[in-house]
Amino acid sequence: MPGPMLEFHDVTVAYGRRPVLWNIDLAVDEPCLFGIIGPNGAGKSTMLKAALGLVPLAGGTIRFFGRPFSEVRGRIGYVPQRETVDWDFPVSVTDVVLMGTYAHLGWFRRPGPRERQLARDSLTRVGLDDVADRQIGRLSGGQQQRVFLARALAQQADIYVLDEPMAGVDAGSQEQIFRVLSDLRDAGRLVVVVHHDLRTAADWFDRVALVDMRLVASGPTAAVLTPENLRRTYAGRLDVLDELGRAVARGERTS
Amino acid sequence: MSVIGGLPYNTLVVAAGVAAVGCAAGVIGSLGVLRKRPLVGDAAAHATLVGVAGAFLLTGRRDLPLLLAGALCSALAALGVLVLLRRWSRTREDAATAIVLAVSFGLGIVTVSGITARGIPGGAGLEQFLLGHTAALTAGDAALLAAISAGVVAIVALALKEVTLVAFDAAFAAATGWPVALIDYALVMLVAVMVVVGLPAAGAVLVTALVVIPPVAARQWTDRVGTMLALSGSFGVLAALVGVAVSASVPRMATGPLVVLAAATIFAASFIMAPGRGWWARVRRQRAVEQAWTRGRLLSAAAEAAAADGGFSRRRLAEVAAVGTDAALRAFDAAFDALIRQSLISPAADHGGGVADRWRLTAVGQEAADERARRLSLWNDLIASAPAAARERLTIDLPDPQAVGVADGSGGRW
Repeated sequence: MPGPMLEFHDVTVAYGRRPVLWNIDLAVDEPCLFGIIGPNGAGKSTMLKAALGLVPLAGGTIRFFGRPFSEVRGRIGYVPQRETVDWDFPVSVTDVVLMGTYAHLGWFRRPGPRERQLARDSLTRVGLDDVADRQIGRLSGGQQQRVFLARALAQQADIYVLDEPMAGVDAGSQEQIFRVLSDLRDAGRLVVVVHHDLRTAADWFDRVALVDMRLVASGPTAAVLTPENLRRTYAGRLDVLDELGRAVARGERTS
Repeated sequence: MSVIGGLPYNTLVVAAGVAAVGCAAGVIGSLGVLRKRPLVGDAAAHATLVGVAGAFLLTGRRDLPLLLAGALCSALAALGVLVLLRRWSRTREDAATAIVLAVSFGLGIVTVSGITARGIPGGAGLEQFLLGHTAALTAGDAALLAAISAGVVAIVALALKEVTLVAFDAAFAAATGWPVALIDYALVMLVAVMVVVGLPAAGAVLVTALVVIPPVAARQWTDRVGTMLALSGSFGVLAALVGVAVSASVPRMATGPLVVLAAATIFAASFIMAPGRGWWARVRRQRAVEQAWTRGRLLSAAAEAAAADGGFSRRRLAEVAAVGTDAALRAFDAAFDALIRQSLISPAADHGGGVADRWRLTAVGQEAADERARRLSLWNDLIASAPAAARERLTIDLPDPQAVGVADGSGGRW
């Protein structure tokens, strides 16, 4: 019995002495599109970084397939936020996608024909064949985000973890990204997405977790995005009240 | 002393050695620059002086390998302090670098001046490590420098994939299991080694230029890491050779400043002339954009005037289309002449030769003007109905919206 695909058990993370995640308990045991939703500064991205061993835990455990991340690294694909890298870096689209194969290649071995084919296939899936040789700075925001997605596809993972893949991305790219993620889910992969836009959350995700430092609620989207839960997650944040109203209306419609 | 091609054998060997140093410094420096740590080498460089002086004081000898070993020790110690400062005192990286650089350099100057002032035998000439002085190198020294440089280049060639990955996206590298800190330390180590090896060529004050200027110059010419490394290495060779040649022919001239000036010349040339990123190319691109847009607007204005009374005058059109400034007028003139060359407008038939300033649109010109009007109105609709998709696809040369796939105005499709 390998255990759930992804499991947070009593996870607490602190930056300095200030906790950003508080006793998170969460388990996802089947392939789905899983959204992590919450206001700015709620610790959504920190959840991903903690799961990937990029920030230390103050306490608790995170397991994939019942095992620690370090043992199953090769089965996890990662799409970081687009702003975390310098897009003026002198590499081509293909170069970046090939980086997804590096972990399997190991030290000092260079990508061969097999890896190049894999990179080409990944680019086709995200619709970027025609810019494969372009320097990455000469892409639109949506295309850049799809390059990152293609790199994760080249990792050939079982679980995909994406940090705000829809932020600053045009509608066409959003749709294409969503289609690729749905295909992954249909092929039996778990796709975990940090997402800030309440309006689209109900349309895109099978299951969601509402997070604001602590876990407010998690489960099937329609059951979780209730007015009560949203109020508890976004309490006191006036700027989202409008968004909240729309999301609630949508949540009630779908349920 | 044997002489080859008019130059003493020793000078040739030294030149070859220093060229190898320039090459390796350019290569490893590229990775330092891409990792956004251009100043780390500078802190290490300024710290070498203490090590040189310390090695001399401890052993009383002045052979180069010994002094360079001392330099490497103090450079690495300074980098260690830098890491500790950042980690334990939460000092910002640039401030911490400046502190380490200044303090270690001060310490080095005090030690060297102390040695000189007390007249310790053999201590004279240590200050040559401040600005570099290749004339003092022996063939054996140069061979050592070349061997170390070759080693550094070999390591980079082996681990280029790993270092590039970390430099581009350290978080992804860490998440996929690469030891980012280890690779970073190795990179900084190699930069420190090259800074030490570069001391005889450029000296503690200027050697950092060898690991920063050629890479930045090389970046102007290419969008590929591999090409950038190769170019940067070549620029390093060139700068080093110029420095050595000039300082060998002028007595008592320090090599370092000459090497740096040569590198700076390469940088300036790259900055101005490089295709794509260079200044001249950018100016020309901007001109081309301005020309294309002016031509388009002129064509539309001409069509409008022609629709009203069959033809138009250049002077009148200029008053409408080129408002005010001399630059706008110049652009208008260039655009008008271009349209004549493209046979989009021609002198009106009833006035021979256009002397009378009476012009008309040709059939092709009318077609082009209609097409432009059609696209303009399509794009205006798109900007209103689907701003995100329009922003993504619209360029100044007004492509056909259908050809770039945003024509149905739904916003989502493309």
